[in-house]
Amino acid sequence: MSDLLGAFEQAVLLAIVRLAANAYGRTILHEAQASLGRQVSAGAVYTTLDRLEQRGLVRSRLEQGTEARGGRPRRYYTVAAEGVSALNEARDTLTRMWSSIQWPAEIVR
Amino acid sequence: MREPDSPPRWAETVLETLLPCEDRQAVTGDLREEYAETVLPELGRWRADAWYLRQVLSLAPRRIFKEDGMRKMLLPVSVFNTVCGCWLITMEMLLRHAGYVARVAMDASISLVSLATILVILLHPGVRTERWFRLCGLPLIAIALWAFVRNARSTHFEGFVLIISLALTLQGVLLLVSLGKEPRGFRLGGMEGSR
Repeated sequence: MSDLLGAFEQAVLLAIVRLAANAYGRTILHEAQASLGRQVSAGAVYTTLDRLEQRGLVRSRLEQGTEARGGRPRRYYTVAAEGVSALNEARDTLTRMWSSIQWPAEIVR
Repeated sequence: MREPDSPPRWAETVLETLLPCEDRQAVTGDLREEYAETVLPELGRWRADAWYLRQVLSLAPRRIFKEDGMRKMLLPVSVFNTVCGCWLITMEMLLRHAGYVARVAMDASISLVSLATILVILLHPGVRTERWFRLCGLPLIAIALWAFVRNARSTHFEGFVLIISLALTLQGVLLLVSLGKEPRGFRLGGMEGSR
């Protein structure tokens, strides 16, 4: 894996993992907002989903929509095997980076 | 007539226009569902409409990023040339130097071609453009070269003419080469099962 995942990409991928079979645009937006603790725009989420799909980290499929959506279809997302590897690698990298640091880090003046 | 729990119809139409057709239904459906079930009950009509407009604005650049590099470059260049064309028309009309009518006509044609390019990119992504439209790039390049040579020969060199002629040349070349093929990774057909 040459490109490490960014924080927002990790948030979106982890949201899809947590939501499992119910991961579509709206629920991913909610989950990403909850995990990041801030408001997130729909544009940021869909752009990230596009990028992850282009990189082969997630897959999507269309399913029939509900009445609340005016019958419009839902695009459900699942994490691909490459996405799981990327998440594992991101976590390993972070763990390695933090392993030699005592927390809370002290500011040396 | 607007349904009681649906976002403003015009905003939804703008969003549908901005989105690539492969995403149009799913994304507008997500936002409509969020609007009706979460945002409207929590925020009320006005603030919910404002929320919807913010989402539309946040999704606008997405259309451009789905295009390939040359189309991405063509859009800002065309916007720049449209603005410059309008500015030149205004200045010519105000100053009315000898032969201004011919120059206004030329500036108007630049603005029209540039505006048409913007509309083609935004409204018909992923579609090969007709050859006659792509060939509009040739007169743009010719006008740019003519303006550049005229500017270089004059006693007073105008920097803005150089910049506009460079932008026109770039738009002409991009028109010729980028709109004749479908952008990479762009697929039509809003309801296909997967991308």
